[in-house]
Amino acid sequence: MNAMQKIIFEPFAKSVDNILVFLPNIMTSLFIFLAGLVVSLALKIILEKVFKAIGLNGFAIRLGFHELLKRGGITDAFSTLLAKFTGGVIFLIFTLLSMRALEVNILGKLIEKFLFYLPNVVIALLILLAGWLLGNFLGRTVLIAAVNAGITFSRFVAAFVKYLIVTLAVTMALEHVGIGKETVEIAFAVLFSGMVFALSLAFGLGGKDIAKEFLEKKLKENKEQHGDGISHL
Amino acid sequence: MKNTILKDDALNKIHSLKKTDILVGIPSFNNATTIGHVVRAVQAGLSKYFPDRKAVIVNSDGGSTDRTVETVQDAAIEDFESILVTHRKEPVLKITTPYHGIPGKGSAFRTIFSMADLLHAKACIVVDSDLRSITPEWVELLIKPVLNGDFDFVAPLYLRHKYDGTITNSIVYPLTRALYGKQVRQPIGGDFGFSGDLAAFYLSKDVWDTDVARYGIDIWMTTTAIANDFRICQSFLGAKIHDAKDPGADLSAMLYQVVGAAFDLMEEYPREWQAVTGSEPVPTFGFKYAVGLEPVSVNVQRMIDRFRLGVRELTDIWRKFLPVEVIDYLLSAAELPDAEFSFSDEAWTGIIYSFALAAHIKAINREHLLKALTPLYIGRTAAFVRETGESDAQQVEEKIEGLCRLFEDKKHIFSENWQI
Repeated sequence: MNAMQKIIFEPFAKSVDNILVFLPNIMTSLFIFLAGLVVSLALKIILEKVFKAIGLNGFAIRLGFHELLKRGGITDAFSTLLAKFTGGVIFLIFTLLSMRALEVNILGKLIEKFLFYLPNVVIALLILLAGWLLGNFLGRTVLIAAVNAGITFSRFVAAFVKYLIVTLAVTMALEHVGIGKETVEIAFAVLFSGMVFALSLAFGLGGKDIAKEFLEKKLKENKEQHGDGISHL
Repeated sequence: MKNTILKDDALNKIHSLKKTDILVGIPSFNNATTIGHVVRAVQAGLSKYFPDRKAVIVNSDGGSTDRTVETVQDAAIEDFESILVTHRKEPVLKITTPYHGIPGKGSAFRTIFSMADLLHAKACIVVDSDLRSITPEWVELLIKPVLNGDFDFVAPLYLRHKYDGTITNSIVYPLTRALYGKQVRQPIGGDFGFSGDLAAFYLSKDVWDTDVARYGIDIWMTTTAIANDFRICQSFLGAKIHDAKDPGADLSAMLYQVVGAAFDLMEEYPREWQAVTGSEPVPTFGFKYAVGLEPVSVNVQRMIDRFRLGVRELTDIWRKFLPVEVIDYLLSAAELPDAEFSFSDEAWTGIIYSFALAAHIKAINREHLLKALTPLYIGRTAAFVRETGESDAQQVEEKIEGLCRLFEDKKHIFSENWQI
């Protein structure tokens, strides 16, 4: 009996004691988790209505988000997507809080590290978004200006500007999250310098006759343009 | 309330003058080579046609560095007897004053309106400072309809080469005629007559920190006068010859400014233009005559190439707001052989109204929208030049009249879409 008590009953009783001590933490954690689920769902529904009411969908169409999402196979309206994302972030925060409530040491440290890293991810996403928007806007500006100036390779020039800005944004975003920091910096510098060097060689040496012809043609066209006698106003 | 627009110098002269019957405003910026002639023509006109009326010439200058202001002050007719039968009872006072505010013709006009208001002027005119064809008769033709008390606003009517003023002929005139119902042939002429009441009305509007102050003043003056039921007429002034503007001046910038201003005014007066159907002629003064104009050279081939480049590269942008049938039309037009190149009035009308709608709903960035119109305008102009090569001025005017009627016919569709 004593052996049975020592081998079975005492460890069992200790486990039950441990569970009973841990139970409030589990209950608290579960409560926080469920509360997070309810809050995030409610917030998603409310925010979706608010975003629709303030015309965010129209704004997203004008900026080209809608088109970008469609290309990525996402058919949800922008207001729905943003509401879902916000709800998801709230749910994630509640989940992390619920895990903290368990008061497990290792878990606590992991959560702390994750929470410290999260702002970097958010900022990196914002940098990517800003870079994409700016690249699109400037690319279109350059395209229209180049077409109006009669440049036949205007699409190439516009694409170059757009993807240069997007590449810069990607580099900055990766640097911000600390992924291959030095590698990315060096790769970007090499790529950019290489492009500039190649263009200089092409126009300076290899294409100097073409460049000369191009400039002479442009000067002649300008003279003819000035001779275009229409007064438009 | 203290007048903060005018400098103390100008205010002192106004206080000593107290009032005037006629005020002539001449905005300027580095126009020393031409402004002397303009001032002398105005002086002669005032002396010849209004010898008994009190008159003042106001030069509103934007900070000229080429002695424009000194030229105005020194300008005088040496020998009145060679051009006039009678003399004025009193000399015409000249006031030169710098203008404040955003650099541009609008700010210069604001100063002129302010002086007209303070001097209780009965009739005012504004003339460009680079005019070479201005005669003393312009003064009579722009002032008399107002001074007689019959009209508040006198628009100019010039004799122009059939290929000049294509932005006016293909966009601004048909659009403002269809929208506001008055057949003002040159709504952005630049030389206008108006009453003191209308000057005070202009001054009351809070537009002087907007694009109106920079470059939209001409279309704004005309549209504001029409939309607010002022009495409108126009006077035939003959040929308008002025200093060539910078030949490298960007066409897309011109379209952005002029068409942009017209679209902005649609936002300002939606109730007024939606209530109008058709259009009516405005009374026209002056003796119309024909005069030989210098031929204008046009590089049609280059224009067609520019249009084709636009179709090739900008169709994706145009698809965002132009109807499918218009896009299809443009794609087929770009494929036409040079000798058969054309651009129908129907397509052009649809394009202008679609652009106006796109500006209203802010479909894309405004500057992108307006500058993307350039290749279409160039294509339209190329087709117009090709089709009217053998036409005389009368035939060209009939073609423009046809375009205007189409703008009027299609207006109701545009108006319905505006509401949605």
